Amino acid sequence: MLKQEINELLTQAGPGTPMGEMFRQYWVPALLAEELPENDCPPVRVKLLSERLIAFRDTDGRYGLMDEFCAHRGVSLWFGRNEESGLRCSYHGWKYDVNGQCVEIPSEPDERHSSLCAKIKLKSYPLVKIGDVLWAYLGDPKTTPDLPQWEFARVPAEQSYTSKRWQECNWLQALEGGIDSSHVSWLHSDGLRDDPLFKGAQGNKYNLADRKPFFEVVESDGGLLIGVRRNAEEGHYYWRITPWVMPSFTMIPPRGDHPIHGHFWIPIDDENCWVFTYDYHPVRPLSQAEVQAMKDGKGVHNEFVPGTYRPLQNKDNDYMMDRAAQKRGDTYSGVKGISMQDASLQESMGPIVDRTKERLVSTDSGIIMARRKLWRAVEALRDEGVTPPGVDVTHQAVRSAAVVLPKDQSFIEGCADALRVRPGEKHASV
Amino acid sequence: MSTPATRAPRQPTPGQPTPPQPTLLSSCARAATAAEARYRISYPGFTRRSSRVIALGAESARAVRGMGDRLWGGGHFLMFESAVPGDALLRRAGTGDTALLSEELEGADTVVMVASAGANAEAASVIGDAAATRGIMSAGLVLPVSPGSGAAANEVVAALRPNAMVLVVLRDAADVPEVLSALRV
Repeated sequence: MLKQEINELLTQAGPGTPMGEMFRQYWVPALLAEELPENDCPPVRVKLLSERLIAFRDTDGRYGLMDEFCAHRGVSLWFGRNEESGLRCSYHGWKYDVNGQCVEIPSEPDERHSSLCAKIKLKSYPLVKIGDVLWAYLGDPKTTPDLPQWEFARVPAEQSYTSKRWQECNWLQALEGGIDSSHVSWLHSDGLRDDPLFKGAQGNKYNLADRKPFFEVVESDGGLLIGVRRNAEEGHYYWRITPWVMPSFTMIPPRGDHPIHGHFWIPIDDENCWVFTYDYHPVRPLSQAEVQAMKDGKGVHNEFVPGTYRPLQNKDNDYMMDRAAQKRGDTYSGVKGISMQDASLQESMGPIVDRTKERLVSTDSGIIMARRKLWRAVEALRDEGVTPPGVDVTHQAVRSAAVVLPKDQSFIEGCADALRVRPGEKHASV
Repeated sequence: MSTPATRAPRQPTPGQPTPPQPTLLSSCARAATAAEARYRISYPGFTRRSSRVIALGAESARAVRGMGDRLWGGGHFLMFESAVPGDALLRRAGTGDTALLSEELEGADTVVMVASAGANAEAASVIGDAAATRGIMSAGLVLPVSPGSGAAANEVVAALRPNAMVLVVLRDAADVPEVLSALRV
């Protein structure tokens, strides 16, 4: 349960809001690199943290992210012409470079031209490509943090794959699904049996054999480590450990030699978010079959309405609910695929769930602690200017882990190395 | 006569393909809007939780004693005193009088053990077993270990692990009331 004012504090991420200011301390995933595939390609509308922006890649390969609307008459620059190192408004030909600087006003006399251009600059933000993702920083330029160091974005390109999807609810309830380990045994119980990106791992047997797991939630420098243990062989526990790094990065524990996957949950506005979903292997290229499975929506990815980032299963078609499959036990909820099983239920809560009415139980402790840490960090930033956890790139050097440990060993001790990035070394997985 | 809303799906005709699942057009799209959220029914229908918050050692007792003064939703705040044959003796934070664990667990639905340095492993075992026997959910909150106490957080966690279905290791004792409040203790 949360008081309404705290619910609003945590869910509103627009400009000038406390949570919005906190999100503006980080480099956040803004687009997939595939959306701007070549120089002078069409510009892309981007809504991020409740700001309407336009992204483009100029003739020289530089990325720009700026106010979507022309300073002249407020026309959307999405209709613009991306040419000769700038984005030109289709209405009267005003042209802007990647920094939002107006560089051309064709209608003005030559003698006035340069002085007038110099006075016109659209609000712009840095946009950089790291891995498959274009990252944006919407905060104060004076406090621009170091570039992101997340392992999935830093391994060689052939070892990583990222997709994104639009989720039609507030970012926080989507994130909370990512750290709610207790729903997995129910909602996603079908996935372990036949999904090509999960099946065959020894750990799956422990998962399916023990459906009453125990939980341990431990604070970390960047956020939380959420450990879930199940019975394994005599005298041992099977542990699955999920790191959450503030504000919205999660990494799902791996299975066997399958790639590791996870999500970033980024506010579009207060009632919509982008879910960036990555899969990577620390030491080997992804196989063709694995990449194809990801493109086909397996694992934690999903299928799309062609030509869009909207899931094929969405609220307009009732997520293609299949009651017969539900009755047969093929799926627990009747919705196919892990990501859409989550999204369908999270969207059903409404755009921003009323947390004053919920009835949390102790297995929701990960969610409770995540909210508490967000709340504390938002207040510390607002009141004392304290940089929040997760900005420091050392906090980003995390891995999830799936291990079998003796019963008397804590996962913090037993997985101290496994939970850190070790370049060139395989992830800890069962 | 059935209304359109309750009519059973038409049975497939033998030899004909099964008709598509009868789904109301855009029903989730409409049901999940903010406008529809206004029609969620509101009523005070939930029975109050009955939680027991039990400190396992001297340091955690100080934290629990302080919380007992606040207004809660029916939770009892207690300190473990000693094990007695087949039971345990507890002290109530508010009144200071004693009670048996077995009495306190009657009607309880959640037990939250609060532990810090020097946590009593026997206490955790007695309380955890009693909760498990009665089918009561047990959780543990591990307070930060004070510098100079000589104890390690891992020892506290190890004492609680076999006896609590959920363990939360905190860095700030000030979070305890917030966690309990979120659980409607």
